[in-house]
Amino acid sequence: MTEARIHDAGYRRYTGVRLGPSQAIRSLTRHTAQRVMGLRRPARYKALPFLVVLIAYLPAAVFVGLAAFLPHQLRGQLPKVSDYYGFVTAAIVLFVAFVAPESMCPDRKYRTLSLYLAAPLDRLSYLRAKAQAVVAILALVTVGPPVLMLIGLSLQNAGPKHPSDLAIVVVRILASGTMLAVFYTSISMAVASLTDRRAFAAAFTLILVAGSVTVAGTLVYALGATHSLVVLNLSRVPFEMSQRIFGTYDNDLRGVPTVVIVLGTVGWFALGCAVTWWRYRRLQVTR
Amino acid sequence: MTDAVVRADGVTKRWGATVALDEATFEIGSGITGLLGANGAGKTTMLGLVLGLYRPEGGAITVLDRDPWTAGPEVRARIGWAPEHDALPPDVPAFDAVRHLAEVHGLPNTEASGRASDALWVVGLGEERFRAVGTMSTGQRQRVKLAQAIAHDPALVLLDEPTNGLDPVQREEMLGLIRHVGHDLGLDVVLSSHLLEEVERTCDSVVILDEGRAVAQGGIAELRAIGGTRAELIVEVDGGDDAVSAVVARLDGVAVDVDGSRLVVELSGDDVYDLVRDAVADTGVALRLLQRRTRSLEDVYLDARG
Repeated sequence: MTEARIHDAGYRRYTGVRLGPSQAIRSLTRHTAQRVMGLRRPARYKALPFLVVLIAYLPAAVFVGLAAFLPHQLRGQLPKVSDYYGFVTAAIVLFVAFVAPESMCPDRKYRTLSLYLAAPLDRLSYLRAKAQAVVAILALVTVGPPVLMLIGLSLQNAGPKHPSDLAIVVVRILASGTMLAVFYTSISMAVASLTDRRAFAAAFTLILVAGSVTVAGTLVYALGATHSLVVLNLSRVPFEMSQRIFGTYDNDLRGVPTVVIVLGTVGWFALGCAVTWWRYRRLQVTR
Repeated sequence: MTDAVVRADGVTKRWGATVALDEATFEIGSGITGLLGANGAGKTTMLGLVLGLYRPEGGAITVLDRDPWTAGPEVRARIGWAPEHDALPPDVPAFDAVRHLAEVHGLPNTEASGRASDALWVVGLGEERFRAVGTMSTGQRQRVKLAQAIAHDPALVLLDEPTNGLDPVQREEMLGLIRHVGHDLGLDVVLSSHLLEEVERTCDSVVILDEGRAVAQGGIAELRAIGGTRAELIVEVDGGDDAVSAVVARLDGVAVDVDGSRLVVELSGDDVYDLVRDAVADTGVALRLLQRRTRSLEDVYLDARG
């Protein structure tokens, strides 16, 4: 017969280690990423993020499958890794419009921000944690699929032939994918900082991207302005930047110097950061 | 070093043209301290300064012997804060929210999980801890806020109007929990409230703010003693001035003030009750009121506000 015991599971004083702001940032980053992907939430919150991620990976799976089943017929005809984003631009932009609003708006709507700023986080470290989470999630669709495609093609002997070439492509995928994630994180966080409503923020993000396409297209193609104004196009300038990282370019933008593309990308990024910081610096959280 | 958990010395804070705090000077020690004042008195602004969210325009404030503005993260790691308003997403289980906020306050993940459970049991939500916050009643949501404020074992707990929106039963339970946190668990608590009676019943000491100034501070008993510690017995009888005079005539050796049909008798000892009873009985008048009165926090508050 075993001896029965009742253990006191009551509140105890804590004398262990306290990990400070770094733990706060890690926890907020992880919590935000889980929340955006619908983890530890009802199934309906998982549907959209997982569907978009699936769409982003679908072309990579198809290309690898074609390379596997039709290796001779399609040799040299499959798209290059650098062209991959052309197949999933819409999915990436849709995901961008979803992720930042989902990660930022509820904290202000439900005033959880006041609890975070009453912890070892300050406004800057809070935004850093949020940005890390958004970048990591966007990287699922900007880094993951090209990597999958590269791995698949390499296994089918349809990828780079030499290890050095393979390493260069990997570095370029990581650089361009991270650049895209960081760029769109900045833009979408700026929009999400302007409203507490997720749906409005998502709509505004899509409207902003569509508006920039219209404005740049009108200026360049209807009014005959310099092609350098393509930097106003939020769905084109980062992807052109990605092409330049791979050492290629869009034929339409052949005459636009890389420095202009870099300045355009950095300019939008800086503007996004500035708007986000301007909004959060002014927020009153306890009143 | 000082015993004061919070020390404000001439603290001034403005919001535009509005002076929220006007050279407020006070100390908050251990135990449960009420931060009392009408709406707009500067209580919430003061809590924001304690958290290091704002920089005072004048004066100095120290919290746990640190300047919260320059040492914000270190100070806030040791503070638990429950705001007046709802602050937790409705679709998150209470346990997840409390655990996450314990981690955000610097606790390792495994410790945060255990302490989140403990804190939710303390506030009486042990069985309900996996329910989404949005499905809980107002009283339960206030308890979750209290749980997240104590889960990381803070040195100081700041509660802003914690009984807001609660019915009388829930309010009573919440005040009991606050007393438990302050007296049994040994956490220093600042209870910001505009409700005088709940501060009087819950707190060991009080700081009274009025239009941004700290107009009174100290232990509840000490403040009551200012202006006299004398206890009084209020006696009302039927029968008009003649009856009052007859009763007074029979109260030999007792200090009595007459206020209309009301007698204010100095309660110098328990035998005064017997004297009053006998005087009324001997006079043959009807006794309408016999009530002990001491100086209340309301008297202190009204005096302090001038």
